[in-house]
Amino acid sequence: MKNQNLYKKKIKRYLDVILKEPFPYWFGAILLGILNVGLFAVSGEPWHITSHFVHCGAWIARALGVRPELWAFYGEKDNAEALAQGFLRDGGSIQNLGIIAGAMLAALLASQFRFRKIKSYKQVIGAVIGGFLMGYGARLAFGCNIGALFSGISSMSLHGWIFMASMLAGTYLGSRILIRFFLY
Amino acid sequence: MNMFTRTQKKNQLPFAIALLACLVVFGIYLSNIRTILVIRWVFGIAFGFVLQRSRFCFTAAMRDPLLTGNTSMFRAVIIAIAVATMGFAWLQYAAHLSGCSVPGMIKPAGIHTVFGGILFGIGAVLSGGCASGTLMRVGEGHLVNMIALVFFIAGSVAGAYHFGWFKENLIKYTRPVFLPDLLGWGAAFFGQLAFLFILYWLALWWDYYSRNE
Repeated sequence: MKNQNLYKKKIKRYLDVILKEPFPYWFGAILLGILNVGLFAVSGEPWHITSHFVHCGAWIARALGVRPELWAFYGEKDNAEALAQGFLRDGGSIQNLGIIAGAMLAALLASQFRFRKIKSYKQVIGAVIGGFLMGYGARLAFGCNIGALFSGISSMSLHGWIFMASMLAGTYLGSRILIRFFLY
Repeated sequence: MNMFTRTQKKNQLPFAIALLACLVVFGIYLSNIRTILVIRWVFGIAFGFVLQRSRFCFTAAMRDPLLTGNTSMFRAVIIAIAVATMGFAWLQYAAHLSGCSVPGMIKPAGIHTVFGGILFGIGAVLSGGCASGTLMRVGEGHLVNMIALVFFIAGSVAGAYHFGWFKENLIKYTRPVFLPDLLGWGAAFFGQLAFLFILYWLALWWDYYSRNE
């Protein structure tokens, strides 16, 4: 009986390590690095996220009668191709959906999933302004924290390093704004 | 048995298994369209899984060193970049040797990168998550990040709409700078790794320094 309890405890401990306990940062970092290399090797392109946000938006805009194929952004061959093919044939958009699904799976496995409510109207304002700025900034800089910072620097491209320095400055400004206008 | 039912109450494992089944079914559906799609699907799930489990956040990595002096996330990003650099350089060098154009995220660098990075940084702090962080938190069930995602997409479209203007007036005068073209393969690769190493130690020092303040 005592043995059985011990055994149960041991199994629970293993399950917690496998399903619940957060990975140490360095371990997550190594996994993300390896995954990015793997993705680059099989698809020919490193990990990037935001250019496929544009496609998502453009498909919606097209459904509303706008003609995004006339924009300079869609003058570029890869972008035009993705726009023409639609969501179910655009690997990057599928991959973005996969990120949401994978995070949800991890949260459910750890029994940590729950709808987290909005605490104040200021949070909504922050999300609206912040989201828009990120989208706009990522287009200007040819990428986000993944496409420009992570994959850009790893590709030994100068724009990645410039992006990192500017994002550091931006987050500093952002924290000032957050402290000044959003916290109190 | 009694113990089992008690833990069952908050256990979400059945939902996880149901979700996993849905993911597999969608993967099979994708594999009928094109093989690369199911590969991207699996990679996306893996990225999301690792991001959630390790609580990875690029916004915190950039924000916390100056705000609180905590550089643990920043150092993790440095590790991720160092690992990816080694793999990428290998793939790029192989392409270079076989005479292909070098693949990778090599984009024009210039003043537009600075503007974009600053806007992105401000936005990431205000909305509480970068591109990967927003997607990850949507998966965790954060309603705020769902709003942020909608406006992220709106901002992307606005940026793409104005892209022509920026291209004509800013980006036209810049070009992509691939460091090995500038410095040579050896100097660029080992120089970058050395620089990442120095950044790591500076971050570690900064962490101790600001803790003792």
